[in-house]
This record gives sequence, C-alpha cells and structure tokens, in this order.
Amino acid sequence: MFTSFFYTLKSSGLNISATEWLTLMEALDKGLAHSSFTDFYYLCRTVLVKNEGEYDKLDAAFLEYFKNIKEEKLDMEQIDKWLHNDAKSGKLTNPELYKDTRTKREAVEVHRMFRERLNEQNSEHNGGNYWIGTGGGSEFGKNGRVAGGIQLGNEAGMKTAFAVMGERRYKDFRRDTKLSMRQFQVAFRELRQYSRKLDLPKTELDIDGTIDSTCNQGGYLKLEFEQPRKNTVKLMLLFDSGGSMYPYSELCNQLFQAVNKANHFKDVKTFYFHNCIYAKLYKTPECLSGDWIDTQWAFRNYDKEYKVIIIGDAGMAPEEFLDKNGNYSGPNNGLSGHEWMQLFRSKYPHSIWLNPSYHGDLTKLYWMESERLIKEIVDMYPLTVDGLKRGIKKLMSNQQRS
Amino acid sequence: MPIETKFTGTDTYVASDDLMAAVEVAMELQKPLLIKGEPGTGKTMLAEAVAKSLNKELLIWNIKSTTKAQDGLYIYDTIQRLYDSQFGEKGVDDIAHYIKLGKLGEAFKKEEQVILLIDEIDKADLEFPNDLLWELDKMEFYINETKETVKAKIRPIVIITSNAEKELPDAFLRRCIFHYITFPGKDLMRQIVNAHFENLQEHLLEQAIKTFYWIRDIRDIRKKPSTSELIDWLRALMIGGIEPDTIQKKLPYLGVLVKKDEDLEIVKQMNV
Repeated sequence: MFTSFFYTLKSSGLNISATEWLTLMEALDKGLAHSSFTDFYYLCRTVLVKNEGEYDKLDAAFLEYFKNIKEEKLDMEQIDKWLHNDAKSGKLTNPELYKDTRTKREAVEVHRMFRERLNEQNSEHNGGNYWIGTGGGSEFGKNGRVAGGIQLGNEAGMKTAFAVMGERRYKDFRRDTKLSMRQFQVAFRELRQYSRKLDLPKTELDIDGTIDSTCNQGGYLKLEFEQPRKNTVKLMLLFDSGGSMYPYSELCNQLFQAVNKANHFKDVKTFYFHNCIYAKLYKTPECLSGDWIDTQWAFRNYDKEYKVIIIGDAGMAPEEFLDKNGNYSGPNNGLSGHEWMQLFRSKYPHSIWLNPSYHGDLTKLYWMESERLIKEIVDMYPLTVDGLKRGIKKLMSNQQRS
Repeated sequence: MPIETKFTGTDTYVASDDLMAAVEVAMELQKPLLIKGEPGTGKTMLAEAVAKSLNKELLIWNIKSTTKAQDGLYIYDTIQRLYDSQFGEKGVDDIAHYIKLGKLGEAFKKEEQVILLIDEIDKADLEFPNDLLWELDKMEFYINETKETVKAKIRPIVIITSNAEKELPDAFLRRCIFHYITFPGKDLMRQIVNAHFENLQEHLLEQAIKTFYWIRDIRDIRKKPSTSELIDWLRALMIGGIEPDTIQKKLPYLGVLVKKDEDLEIVKQMNV
C-alpha cells in the first residue's frame, strides 16, 4: 500500500535502498508506528534517512504525500519548490548583476509586496526580476541580490536580504550535492608519502632489528622497536574566490571540507586569491584588502616540498592576466599575472590547477585565452572526482614538467 | 526500581520524543543506532542513560584515529607470548591464553544483554565502519588462531556516535538506524538544566539561558557554546554568587562558555 510513497520519497531525491524500505516494513509490522502519524514520521526519518542534510527532503516529501491532512496558511512547500532549482540554474556570469542598484525599501512595504506577489504567483521562476525565485534581482527569493528584500530559505553568501522566512527546521542542513564528499576524501587518501624520519616515539616492533639483536645475544630474546611511518605530505590549497566562482562555491566547499577532515596530512595551508595569483595571498575567502600575506613571504616560508592545489576557473580577461597592472583588486608589484604564475610554478614544482569550468581543448577562443596560457604553466584538470584523482597522481609522480 | 523495557529518559537525562522513538526502533529492529549531533548535545550520555534506565551493563569502545576494527574483536598478543616462551612460562603452548577480546568480543561473550557504545566512530580511518559490517550484522566473528567463532548469546544494543568529522560509507549507513540530535530549544534546555541541579533559582536560570542563547545566536561565533558548557557556567555562577540581573551586562566567567580568543572578543564587542 505504501509503494507509491516509496516512489514519492525516491523522486524527492532521497536515496533509499530496498534494505531500508524492508526495514521500515518490518518496523511497521512490529507496530512501531503506534498508529500515530507523528510516530510514523519519526520512524520513517530514523530508518530511511541517514544524514541530517536530507531531513529536509523527507519533510518535503511528507508534506507532498500527506498534504491533505496538513493545514497550512503559507504554502512554504510550494515556495520551496520554486527555490529548489538554483543548483541547476548554474552560472551567474555577469558580476555587474550582483551590485545593488536599488535603494532600500521600507520593511512593511516589502512584506506587503511579498504577500501580494505570493498570491499572484503560481509557478516556478528562476533568475527573473519580479517573481519569487532563485538568483534573480527580485526582492523575493533565494540567493538574491537586492538589498532590503525578503530572503527565503537562505543558504549562504549574498547577505542582501534582511529577513529569512522558512519553517522547516532542517533547511540549513540541506545540500544538493552532485558529488559526495566521501569520494573526494577517498581520492585524497592517495596523497601520501610515508617516512620514518620524524620525531616520534618508537612504538612499532622492528622485526629485522629484533632478529639481529637476538642473534647477537646468542638467542636470548631482545626486542627492538622503531618509529611508525607517517605521512609527510604538506599541502597548500589556493582557492579562487572571485565573483565568477560563485556558482561553484558548493563544490569548492566540499573539496575544502574533504581536505579539512582528512587528518593524514602533515600540514595544510589554505589561501585565497582573486582570479589569479598576484603579489598577495588572502587569508579569508572575502579577499579583503590588508587581510593578506605577501606571496614572496610564502615563497620564503613554505618550502618547495609543499604540494600545491590551485582551484579556480581561470576565467579572466587576457589583459587582466598579461598586463603588469592587470590586477584590479590588489597590487601587481611590477609583475603580470602571467609572470607571477611562472614564478609560483618555479617555486613549487608539485603544483596542479583544478578548474570547475574546464574547457579542455576548446580554449582557442579569445575569452578562454587566459585558461590556455595558465594551462601552459600548470597542469590543469577538471574539478571532479576523476580530475582530482588524476591531479593527485600527477602530484605524487616526481617527474617534473619540462 | 522496576526494570523498564522501554527507554524514556532518566532523572538526569532528558530525551526528546523523536530520540526516544529512535531508541525504541533500534532496539526492536535489533539494529545499531547511529547518533549524530553538535558537540555537547549529549550523544555519549545517551548510552549511559539508556543503560541506566534499562538497568543493563554499559561497555564503551572509545575510537581513536589509530583504532582498527580488529582491536574491537580480539588482539593476539604475540610479543607477550614470545617473551614468555623465553622463560618457559606456563601456558605458552596454549594460544588461547594470548587472545585478548576487544570490547565487541566482550559484549558478545556476556550472558546478559549489554549496551555497547562505539564512541566517535568518525575518528578512525575512513574504511573503519566497513570493516565492522559483518560483525555488526551477524553479531559474530572468527578467531583465526584458535579456530573459534565468537557469537553473541544475546545481541547487544549497539549505540554509535559520530561528530561528522568524516563521511560514513553508504553500506554502513544502510544498516543503521539514524538520529540527529538537534540543539535543544529554550524549553527543553530548561528541563535539561533542571535535571542537573536540585535547587536552581528560577531567575538565575532565566537570565543565564537568555544570555546563553544570545551568545549562540551571534553570527560570527566560531565555536558555539554547548549544553555541557552552559551547565558548567551555571555552576560557576552559583558558586560565585552572581546577582542574576547583572549576568547579561557583565558576562561573568565568560571563559567557561566561550573558549576561543576571537570569539571572546566578538562577544565583548557585541555586548558594548
């Protein structure tokens, strides 16, 4: 009888296996739902959902399937569906659009307009300037860019709306992910170089040493210990935090989390840059002027053993990359981005570039010239699990690029 | 005290409805219960409370970054045996003498049902949970050295906690009952705190909770104070004899609540 419910859950994006479904059936057989709707909901949640990030999907599916027994004033479910599509809507290419072009409205006025708009609207809108939807310039919706509007289902970042409306408790945990972070983590496991040359207590039995010593003592047992082998890989992560990277922030975040949660590196340093590496490396993703270190300082203090992963879309205008004054958000210090990249590459021979909007061989077009030029300096791979794996292989192979 | 068969929280542990439902489901279906949640929401304490309310023994297996799945089953102490063989100690010829059961093995061997807490499973290696799939499913394992199978007489109630430091593998998750402990709201928090103190001034509690949630709601705070920190703080406030009305203004013993330097700065700035 519940099979259609199963498919409702499936279509809401929950990855439920037959095992879990059968477990639920078993639980129902045992009467664990106590003929109560609330208990049934808890039961489904605890058996079918294995990540708090997916609680919200279950909530949505429940509302959808059992909507006739729920009374509601404001149809948050419907609104949420309209907002749901931002992951697919993809690139926001024109940074001009992010700028706030309007003066602030009165709060009361905005609320009144929101109500009116809600009554008028009956479908999903993304990217427009009027309806409630994602990414656009309307006062209402998610990830919008109009100051003083109402923000729905706030996920991150734009900070332009003053109110967040939404009832679902687990909304914040939600993440619609194409790639699982676990895959990234598994890939990073490859990034290991073991060595005993570290200052650690001797805790591992040294078999060869024990045999030697025991023989030297005429068969009288003498145990020898040695230091355990440890990973010596030091990693430097450099994230492009420019406006054109915005659509990939979730992907970058996953990569960042995967590195953060991997505890097998000897050292991890993370810096940010704007479009290309110039004279400064920023300490925070906001890339605020002053909150930085000199790139030259990094050269002096972080040795060439650091393996460097640069994450960026390499999507800047060629003049920004090639001109000695091309950096519009910070100092150039007399070198063009192209020269900085070459300098960087010669300091850190083990470097790769991961590009979320990788164009492969299609970089002959004018506006992809920067990507082509960077690719000549650093090996570039797409920012995917597969790209990361190939990149890590490259980092681990000691062959230098000619 | 009558022996309970259903978990409903204890004198000192206040459980929410959905948490109690999750514990019941896990027990009925005989599946491991995986508990996740913010630090300080009482994940580890849950197992203690379940053990206490059901009057069962609690075995705790603390997971560290170096823990291997094998450690929970059994360890064959070869080095001790090697040593003993030098001096012809008694029992050297008996391998079983050098097989030491881990926490999982111990739980299987018990005559009565026990609660097994696998604490902070995400601390271990990425593959750790996968290595325990069979053992948790079948509740048995095989000791190679003695050709003996250790099988649980009565399936233990397994509670696993995770701080979400690492993602757990799907195959493992599919076998678990999952519950995420959300941070308690003000009402539940009042109950929780009252369960820890006997004679807490109503007014002091009110002011402390108000300030506590105010700090938690500051957006830039990196490490939000948790329940256990609130309880420590209340204790400090009581011992210090702080006047409740001055709490919000003076923020006494703030270091108990907020641990990071930059967070302390932020709170002080916000309070000006």
